[in-house]
Amino acid sequence: MDLLKSIAVAASGLRGQAGRMRVIAENLANADSTPERAGADPYRRKIVTFQGKLDRELDAQVVELGRVERDRSAFRTKLDPGHPAADAAGQVRMPNVNSLIESMDMREAQRSYEANLNVISSTRRMLQRTIDILRA
Amino acid sequence: MTTSSFAAGAYASMQGIGAGGLLKKPANLAGAGGAAAGMPDFSSLVGKALESTAQSARAADVQAASVASGRSDIVDVVTAVAESEAAIETLVAVRDRVIAAYEEIMRMPV
Repeated sequence: MDLLKSIAVAASGLRGQAGRMRVIAENLANADSTPERAGADPYRRKIVTFQGKLDRELDAQVVELGRVERDRSAFRTKLDPGHPAADAAGQVRMPNVNSLIESMDMREAQRSYEANLNVISSTRRMLQRTIDILRA
Repeated sequence: MTTSSFAAGAYASMQGIGAGGLLKKPANLAGAGGAAAGMPDFSSLVGKALESTAQSARAADVQAASVASGRSDIVDVVTAVAESEAAIETLVAVRDRVIAAYEEIMRMPV
């Protein structure tokens, strides 16, 4: 039945946004993860990708988390000569995570999740109202 | 969805009974039981409905239990519960209508 299918599709959207939220949490939590020693790489920001996929059992296009890619932009540096990972010039390489960008991503994930929740509750209301015809 | 196909079958067979085609066998119920007289068998109809609804309710229970033990996703529970809710409500509504029809017939002065 199409109404139950749309609940399942919206549920796949919920799962996708939950995975995105997990990656954002990893990025934010590791915003200050420095390398262990000078010359090593600090934490590299992760980027989620989404893919549409045809669910044959459901006969509908659902969304899935694709590969989690790495952000290839340059690392930040911070002057901290006393740090164990500082190089000769006293610079420490910091992760390329921008907490402002992560916050916006998080807001986007939240909105998208809510949109999918709204699809589910509207669909349930439609189902409910249809069944109510029988009762009248 | 087994439930929706059941509901469609139930309506079709009710229609078959109501249309005075008591001896006609609705296509959906072919082989569903009651084949002896060639009539739709009401008890097998109810049995099938109960079975498919109980199945979806069991699926919802299994999901809820696996979330409680931390093995499953909360989203799976929501979809399973929504499905079983729709199934149970359809069953209850159909049952109420059938019983109302039965009572109507029993009130008929003979």
